[in-house]
Amino acid sequence: MTQRLKEVDVVVIGVGMVGSIVAKELAAAGYKVVGLERGEARFTVPQFQSPAIHDELRFDIRKALMQDNTREAVTFRNQSSETALPIRRWESFLPGTGLGGSMVHWNGQTYRFQANDFELATRTRARYGSKFLDPDVTIQDWGVTYDDLEPHYDRFEYLLGTSGKAGNIKGKIVPGGDPHESPRSREYPTPPQKEHYSGAMFRRAASSLGYHPFPQPSSNLSQPYTNPEGVKLNACVFCGFCERYACEHFAKSVPQTIILPVLLANPNFELRTGCQVQRINLDSTRKKAKGVTYIDAAGREFEQPASLVITSSFALNNVRMLLLSRIGTPYDPTTAKGVVGRNYAYQTMSSVASFFDEDVFINPFMASGASGTIINDFAGDNFDHSGLGFIGGSFIGAVNTNGRPIQYHPVPPGTPSWGKGWKDAVIKHYNHTVMFSLHGSSVSTRQNYLDLDPTYKDAWGQPLLRMTFDFPQNDLKMAAHVTAKAVEIGKAMGAKEVAGSPRKGPYTTTQYQTTHNTGGTVMGGDPSTSVVNRYLQSWDVPNVFVIGASAYPQNASWNPTNTLGALTYWAIDAIKHKYLKNPGRLVSA
Amino acid sequence: MGSILRRCDTSRTLVLAALIAFATYGIARAETPAPASAPVCQGCHGLHGEGNGAAAIPRLAGQSAEYLRKQLEDYASGDRANPVMQNLAKPLTHADIEALATYFSTAEAPHTMNPSTANSAQLDLGHRLANQGSEIKRVQACNSCHGPDGIGVPQAAPYLAGQSAEYLTSALTSFQQRTRKDDPGGLMTSIAGQLDASDIAAAAAYFASLPSNAP
Amino acid sequence: MDRVSRRSFVASIGAASLVPAASALAVEQAPSAPAPSHTPLGTQDTAPVYLFFNASEARFIESACERLIPADEHGAGALGAGVPNYLDKQLGGAWGAGERLYRSGPWVAGSASQGYQLPFTPGELFHQALRAINRDLDSRGTPLPRMTAEAQDAYLKSLEGGTVDLNGVPSGVFFDMLLKMTVEGFFSDPVYGGNRDMVAWRMIGFPGAYADYYDSIDRHGVKFEREPMSLGEDGERHIHSDPNIPAHL
Repeated sequence: MTQRLKEVDVVVIGVGMVGSIVAKELAAAGYKVVGLERGEARFTVPQFQSPAIHDELRFDIRKALMQDNTREAVTFRNQSSETALPIRRWESFLPGTGLGGSMVHWNGQTYRFQANDFELATRTRARYGSKFLDPDVTIQDWGVTYDDLEPHYDRFEYLLGTSGKAGNIKGKIVPGGDPHESPRSREYPTPPQKEHYSGAMFRRAASSLGYHPFPQPSSNLSQPYTNPEGVKLNACVFCGFCERYACEHFAKSVPQTIILPVLLANPNFELRTGCQVQRINLDSTRKKAKGVTYIDAAGREFEQPASLVITSSFALNNVRMLLLSRIGTPYDPTTAKGVVGRNYAYQTMSSVASFFDEDVFINPFMASGASGTIINDFAGDNFDHSGLGFIGGSFIGAVNTNGRPIQYHPVPPGTPSWGKGWKDAVIKHYNHTVMFSLHGSSVSTRQNYLDLDPTYKDAWGQPLLRMTFDFPQNDLKMAAHVTAKAVEIGKAMGAKEVAGSPRKGPYTTTQYQTTHNTGGTVMGGDPSTSVVNRYLQSWDVPNVFVIGASAYPQNASWNPTNTLGALTYWAIDAIKHKYLKNPGRLVSA
Repeated sequence: MGSILRRCDTSRTLVLAALIAFATYGIARAETPAPASAPVCQGCHGLHGEGNGAAAIPRLAGQSAEYLRKQLEDYASGDRANPVMQNLAKPLTHADIEALATYFSTAEAPHTMNPSTANSAQLDLGHRLANQGSEIKRVQACNSCHGPDGIGVPQAAPYLAGQSAEYLTSALTSFQQRTRKDDPGGLMTSIAGQLDASDIAAAAAYFASLPSNAP
Repeated sequence: MDRVSRRSFVASIGAASLVPAASALAVEQAPSAPAPSHTPLGTQDTAPVYLFFNASEARFIESACERLIPADEHGAGALGAGVPNYLDKQLGGAWGAGERLYRSGPWVAGSASQGYQLPFTPGELFHQALRAINRDLDSRGTPLPRMTAEAQDAYLKSLEGGTVDLNGVPSGVFFDMLLKMTVEGFFSDPVYGGNRDMVAWRMIGFPGAYADYYDSIDRHGVKFEREPMSLGEDGERHIHSDPNIPAHL
């Protein structure tokens, strides 16, 4: 028996990074907001405290902070010709859950995309011609420009207190930062974190080759900081338990440390945890949302009516929410018609291991999630791709985030996988190896997409999301190219042995490669190739906004979080100042 | 362990207890002889660095050598303000500082715990701050840096267990008032800035009540 | 004034066990017996009480793990580090029973990219595979412990590379899980019953669960030397074990 609740102004589905910001802004503007979070409430004290949180088996291997696969998973296949099977345990990507969402356990790597990324189709054609791309590649312009988003990037970075060094302030190149970055209006709110030894080695080697190293922008703060919301953060102590863990020191920028104290104190906002939203309900015209239906932790079903519905859950879950709610036409790869689920992309990750003598002590366990040293010389379109046969690139960096031994025990190629030879190699190389991260872009293609699985269900009886994905040739060529460049940097560091591991196909769900799943509810200017308009408003149902990395038409060379933060402030601006003043379509179709 | 030490009332039992306490670390730590510069320290801190709780003079015995070294350097530079300590630290050479830090870090001193005037509510609050922190006050658990039961973590944070409550109170207060500015990353300044006087008193009383078991 | 429980903070985070190990309690009540420190290798129980493995399974596991990570001049191997104990407690606990595993069918053998697709929980998988292995070895008259090291390695390699069906478990799948869990048992926090006395951490120089490196990170290239510290240790450096820590917050 579904219980119908009193109507509110806004329902926010998912109280993670996006949901927290959206809810705070709307509650502060006087609207009654209900935030429905599937997971549980958790806070820095007591849930994130150490030493209990510094447990690699629990949080790294067993994924204790992630979505529970016994209740909800994703099915996967490389090609449409295969049968998708459930991802029975997360490995490749790790969707979070709970108050604060995945941001609670992110690494804090906080890059902006570049101007080129937002107009990728137009600019690629202009620079390389319209025949340059593989016809299956479906990259698109976003419908917004970097200049549109710059003030919102700035606002988000100051909310977090991100630690970094600007490389381009209003067009003027500033030494010490990234000369490739698109112009920012001012410096970072806090200075860069201290450099790790591996970062210093990388910096010297990269400079010697003519590249432009800079400190990785980090939202594990370099010093105490009070953000514009009045919330305080501490300095990070480089504990080396960052991604997959929550920070005990109030030093990582997560909703609990940047905005939740303000949101939760506002009586206009009501948080309901343990509430699994089943669908967004539409009226008989199917052009207006009436609210949502959800099931609480005790299994009771509720209908929450609302004038405005914002789905701000993880990218994959946003796509699934629209599919389950039958908002928008699902994408069909055989006809190339439909839009929901289209242009799913990921991240193309490669690595390089540089092995040193046993008198070179790297101390990998001292690290924050973002205390690396980076070059963007081979990222995005920062280098000439003429004749190379691919677009995109990777940032390359000595990104030492941890030395947690169950997962981190690098050994040279040819080392046996067990026995005395393995043990000898682990002991010999553990504290004497530098790992480079090559974090590569991901183009979208006709064949890679998301839809609903016909067979497997979640614990509530609803179809799981089905993922069809393999690496496009474009991205594998890119990976080979940048890995070769990175190997040269390893050699320039004076390593005894340098081993490059470029990403190879097929894509496997059994190896971790970031949780940077993008696309499926793509933003754009044309409803035949996008699900939401430039303000992230559904083309089909104007009182539904879909805010997440599901809006990205393809993924760039950098971590998606900062760009999502900027898009969130951009969208919330439009919601507050345009939509709520005059509900309706913000962009004519 | 704790029950042995609390029942001490003869010097022989004290010494025996201290020897047991130190013997169980698994680290044989022979006390190095006191250096020539030691008497001026011993005059207040005691022959073996046992401290003087009521006078807020900290226990030094068994404290981390790196920490002791840093404090002497910080007093000398003024990053840590205290007129007496600053005057005594300034004339010390690097070799003096090294020798003093080594001596006191290996010193074995009976645990002279202050008779506690703390009530159980204070000890509960102190225990909670030490092991869990406070969400409202936005401070993390003291033990996350200061080690299990406040025994200290080498190269990170000094022991608090068995330290003088008066001294701990004055240390936290000096961080709060920013007369002590030598904390890495400004962590202690941030933390102390979030606490009020009753939190500080509770944390100090709690740690003072614990046995000194520095590794 | 009474001592409050040292472990009560763990309870608030949700760990299942609230009770300190019995030996620590006994110490607090026995004024004349000094508390043991972090117990040196070899003086703890070398034969754990197996709750999941039966006797012949345990013998196979002990020998197999010790070949995967052998004792040598660097120090203990899997056996000395308590890895079989770790495996026993994990397979017999919530993880072994399928914590966090999507268990619904239908079950189809997928591609390598699609990962694990068997219906078995980790516990079931081990029992099924070990029954088949022991039946096979018994029929040959050579239980693993009685083989030479070389023969043991050859046998393990045959499991690793083979597709022999072990009561429905491909031998390669069993081997991969055994190896993976052996590495976990070796390098995880000793609170879980392996990595006894943090022997594995000492071998590589990993300092453990207490991790504030704000000053140390500046000392580029300087070897960081500090006793490793477990999340389960108390103020007397006694490590309390707790194999029941759940795989959720």
